[in-house]
Amino acid sequence: MTGRESSAPETSAPDADGDSARRVRRMRRFDNPWRNPKLIWGAGLLLGIVALGILGRLFWDADLVFTGAGTPRQAPAGFENLRGQAGSWSHPFGTDVSGKDILALLIVGAPNTLYVGVLASLIGMGVGIFLGFSAGFIGGRLDDAIRVGSDVMITIPPLLILVVAQASFGDIGLTAMAVLIAGFAWQSPTRLIRAQALSMRESGYVLMARLSGASTGHIMFREMLPNLVPYLFGSFIANVTTSIVTAVGLEVLGLGPQRVPTLGRVIYDAINSGALIQNLWWWWGIPTVLLAAMFIGLLLINLGLDEVSNPRLRRL
Amino acid sequence: MGRVPLSYLANRLATLVLTVFIAATLIWIIPRLSPIDPADVMFGRMAAGGGSIENSEAILRGLRERFGLDQPLIVQYLLYLRNTFTLDFGISTAGFPTPVATLVANALPWTVGLMLFSLVVTFFIGNLLGALMAWERTPRLWRIAIPAAMVFTSIPPILSGLLLMYGFSTQLGLFPLTGAYGLNVEPGWTMDFVRSVLHHGFLPAMSIVVVTFGFWALGMRGLMITVQGEDYAVLARAKGLRPRYILYRYMIRNAILPQITAFALKIGLLVAGQVLVERIFAYNGMGKLLYDAILDQDFPVIQGVSFVIILMTALAVFLVDLAYPFIDPRIRHGGAGA
Amino acid sequence: MNILDIGDLSVDFPTSKGVVHAVTGVSLSVPKGRRIGFVGESGSGKTTTALAAMRMLTPPGFVSRGGIHFNSPERINLLELDGESMRRVRLRRISYIPQGAMNSLNPVMRVERQIWDGIVAHEGPADREELRRRSDAALEGVGLDPAAVAHLHPHELSGGMKQRVCIAIGVCLRPDLIIADEPTSALDVITQRHVMRTLREAQGGIGAGLILIGHDMGLMAQSVDDIAVLKKGELVEFGPTRRIIKSPRHPYTRELISSVPLVGGGRFPASAPAKPAAAPRRESGPPLLEFQSVSKSYGGATALRPMSFRLDGEAPRIISVVGQSGSGKTTMGSLMLGFARPTTGRVLFEGGSVPGRSSGERLEFRKRAQAIFQDPYACFNPFYRVDHTLRFPFERFGLSGGPEDTARAMDEACRAVGLAPEAVLGRYPHQLSGGQRQRLIVARALMLSPRLLIADEPVSMVDASLRATILDSIHDLKESHGISIFYITHDLATASHVSDYVMVLHKGHVVEAGPPDAVIGDPRHAYTRLLIDSIPWPDPDREWGSEVDARAALEEIEIQPETVHRGSIPGFELRQG
Repeated sequence: MTGRESSAPETSAPDADGDSARRVRRMRRFDNPWRNPKLIWGAGLLLGIVALGILGRLFWDADLVFTGAGTPRQAPAGFENLRGQAGSWSHPFGTDVSGKDILALLIVGAPNTLYVGVLASLIGMGVGIFLGFSAGFIGGRLDDAIRVGSDVMITIPPLLILVVAQASFGDIGLTAMAVLIAGFAWQSPTRLIRAQALSMRESGYVLMARLSGASTGHIMFREMLPNLVPYLFGSFIANVTTSIVTAVGLEVLGLGPQRVPTLGRVIYDAINSGALIQNLWWWWGIPTVLLAAMFIGLLLINLGLDEVSNPRLRRL
Repeated sequence: MGRVPLSYLANRLATLVLTVFIAATLIWIIPRLSPIDPADVMFGRMAAGGGSIENSEAILRGLRERFGLDQPLIVQYLLYLRNTFTLDFGISTAGFPTPVATLVANALPWTVGLMLFSLVVTFFIGNLLGALMAWERTPRLWRIAIPAAMVFTSIPPILSGLLLMYGFSTQLGLFPLTGAYGLNVEPGWTMDFVRSVLHHGFLPAMSIVVVTFGFWALGMRGLMITVQGEDYAVLARAKGLRPRYILYRYMIRNAILPQITAFALKIGLLVAGQVLVERIFAYNGMGKLLYDAILDQDFPVIQGVSFVIILMTALAVFLVDLAYPFIDPRIRHGGAGA
Repeated sequence: MNILDIGDLSVDFPTSKGVVHAVTGVSLSVPKGRRIGFVGESGSGKTTTALAAMRMLTPPGFVSRGGIHFNSPERINLLELDGESMRRVRLRRISYIPQGAMNSLNPVMRVERQIWDGIVAHEGPADREELRRRSDAALEGVGLDPAAVAHLHPHELSGGMKQRVCIAIGVCLRPDLIIADEPTSALDVITQRHVMRTLREAQGGIGAGLILIGHDMGLMAQSVDDIAVLKKGELVEFGPTRRIIKSPRHPYTRELISSVPLVGGGRFPASAPAKPAAAPRRESGPPLLEFQSVSKSYGGATALRPMSFRLDGEAPRIISVVGQSGSGKTTMGSLMLGFARPTTGRVLFEGGSVPGRSSGERLEFRKRAQAIFQDPYACFNPFYRVDHTLRFPFERFGLSGGPEDTARAMDEACRAVGLAPEAVLGRYPHQLSGGQRQRLIVARALMLSPRLLIADEPVSMVDASLRATILDSIHDLKESHGISIFYITHDLATASHVSDYVMVLHKGHVVEAGPPDAVIGDPRHAYTRLLIDSIPWPDPDREWGSEVDARAALEEIEIQPETVHRGSIPGFELRQG
């Protein structure tokens, strides 16, 4: 990961044969694009978080998320709180101001946060694939309408419309929030797929398929879609990131589901109760680190995917 | 200089108007789709606090008339549009009787100031670093340092804000925890005030910068790698131009164009991120105003703030679109471009 | 005196599958003021050798052996120079004109500034007056009007103009050596001749040596003094142009020369004359394809002016449509296939409108009218094995009697176009060569055995040595399978060999039409003459047209808009309007 290959832009002077062999070995590293370190690390991080949610429920009591599950303001095991009380292994990550167990909050909250992001992104992708293909493939007035629509909707910051929506609807569930966020997750995939469909429509193999009497459905789903998979997957991951960011943003503003623990909700409660000033760092800090790990995992997957589909990027 | 084609201008202007119009409409429709009537909530709060206000009945009647709730929906809608487009968002229910417009006008300069710094500075730093990542002559140390600095990319600014707050304010005490300026200084063009503003603004700005520059850097790196393979980059080297000149005038100059388009598309998300940063730092901007309004269920303020932020975003996108033909001659001569 | 000495040069490209020896042991000298041609097909190492001299090999390529000495002002080994010294050699001592004129100029910089920055980089800052004087002189030197061109951005120039600006950049510092890498590969023959003439004059004017890289023996014969033939990274033959062309020693050189199709050089395939009796006769009925006053415009631009013709299709014919880019020939193809709708008039296939109203009609039309496109790579969906492209239409059109029948038909079709089925079927498109891919597309057409085939530039992206084989296969479709073919091409020479009738298209208008012997053997219209004169002949004794003739011809085209009819053939009729 040092960028050695690219640091020799000038032709080097005559060299021994051994040099060539060494260079060949270095190239071989890129043989299997899927054995990409970024992809593996990213997927590992995310799987770890999912595993925390699944295994956590088996080995830890999820009911500890409720008020009064333990003594309030306990520090994590091995640390002391401001009053000098040492943390215990009965609450390894400590407790919040009302005695909720932080570990239980993470075990329940992290999958909830991921769920909102993935669901919103899936809906957004579905709508995006449908609109993007319709615009790029059918064209004409429909294309104009979809293009202008997605251009306009991409300019509007989703958070603010969602703030209005959630402020008027009051308490909502996780799924309802995902659906609302999905209302702003279709624009990027629509634009991406439209652009790809437009260029693919004129490509040789689509012309060949038309010559072969293929139906529109066959051309869209059998000829074009398989080649879009890397883009779709990249777009999906980017969308999950944006959706989680939006969800966490709403939660930190005190909106979103009020009764279901999510990572954003935990952080909201912490800030609201002055956890920063009281130095209850584990209350907001551990969920923040977990969220950060989630985002880093998503970013690594996306970077890895970029490198898989564009070999020229593989030199960082 | 060539002139910008009229069709391009018209196209961009239409998008601007349409964006603002759709946003205004959404802000109006959504509360009306809700089973909870926002007016009820408002009236409820007013009534609860009304005991101390002498003429609360008259105010409530005034509000009812103002909202025109007895009139047909379409009339209500048109009335709302007229008011909104003249930036008249009504009166804050929580901060009665301050007009929403006044609250927004007080908060706006802080938000715009922070945004100019965080968005624009980040864009430049990010692109420069991204270009250096792809440039073959970048010193080795930089090549390792830049990717390492990008681990935080894609983390939302609220999280980085929390971490910075904890590290630099709570623990080290280097920067103030909240606010846009110290309580002991009078707002005005004095050295003390300016110093206080910069001191308070540093952490909010940094929490945005550290997590967003990587986005631009990564995009720029990809574009630079594409540009390096272009024939004109090959000819530039064959011309024996100085490497630094090639970097700026041939590579960055061309690679920056798609980045500027991406900037216009990304402004909305970046502004949203900043609103949240303002909220956690209790910065005197739109974010704090919005958060307080949500706590108080102050609907006119929520709608007003949302609308103004969307309007600002749309205007920023419009400005970027206007500037674009001047940096890409192909749009200038090519007629309508998207 | 030699300006450049390449001694025992080897260039290696390490790849994950092992080291590729792009250039092996090439030794060559370029005397001052002399023109050398590097000829070879793609992968022959001709560009790599030139880039090694510029020290601009793309990583991971590197020089593994040998030296490159440059003798002006004193003898230096270019491979031992540090970065800054090498930078000073580029453009000032050795200038390089890259391939692909379309993208060689910085799109956001005015033309004159791109000349200035080269001057400033080597001679230091100068005032604007001085720079403008020099850039104007350089542009004038390549036949461009500085007042009109200097302030433009590259996208406002035509391909030929862009390439001439590149030449202006390349000669403005009066280098000792110019390396021009396929400078005309993206240009049509008329512009090609103009640009080559400009390059030769500019090079002759400053007395620099020239290395011209190319694959076309005809172009080389007309342009250089010595020819170096490269094959797979090795220099197989080197000598004076006349000797190489007249008596080539290496079989590969002979192959390259014979692959240049000659106008009037006899019909090929060699097996012709055609035997119409051998072709199966079709039942009479409505004409196979008919254009009724068809025209096409895109927005305000006219691509095709009203045109009518009728192809009976009773006996198969090959009709060539010849034109340069922008002539409307590809539009004609799209109209015939129903990919574009005519702006006026009607396109009829077997009496029904193209592509048919109901989906049943459309399917029937597709089954009977097929096509071969220019880019054989793009025609295969990268997601599927190549079989998909052959199998899908075969089954879709109901021609298959089951999976085994399909497999047998695919095998047969591959053999018929000279491919070993086991070597190509079951593979992914990127695993095959361009020639293999294009032959597979021909095999596909053969399997479907349509009545009409549109072949749009089927060989322009295939290496020269394979063109004859593929054209042979296409010709065979007509001879043995009774398929009528529209052959759309920019290349008069191949058109004259394969076709029964030729239409020359210029700006959406047929300027001359008739049997190839008449149209190409004895052109009457000024534009046809200009096209034929512009073809570089692989014969150093033959004059490559003159500038004066070209101007006159272009003027004449303006005043002679009617189609020149040069006779007709049975089964095809072209009418005015």
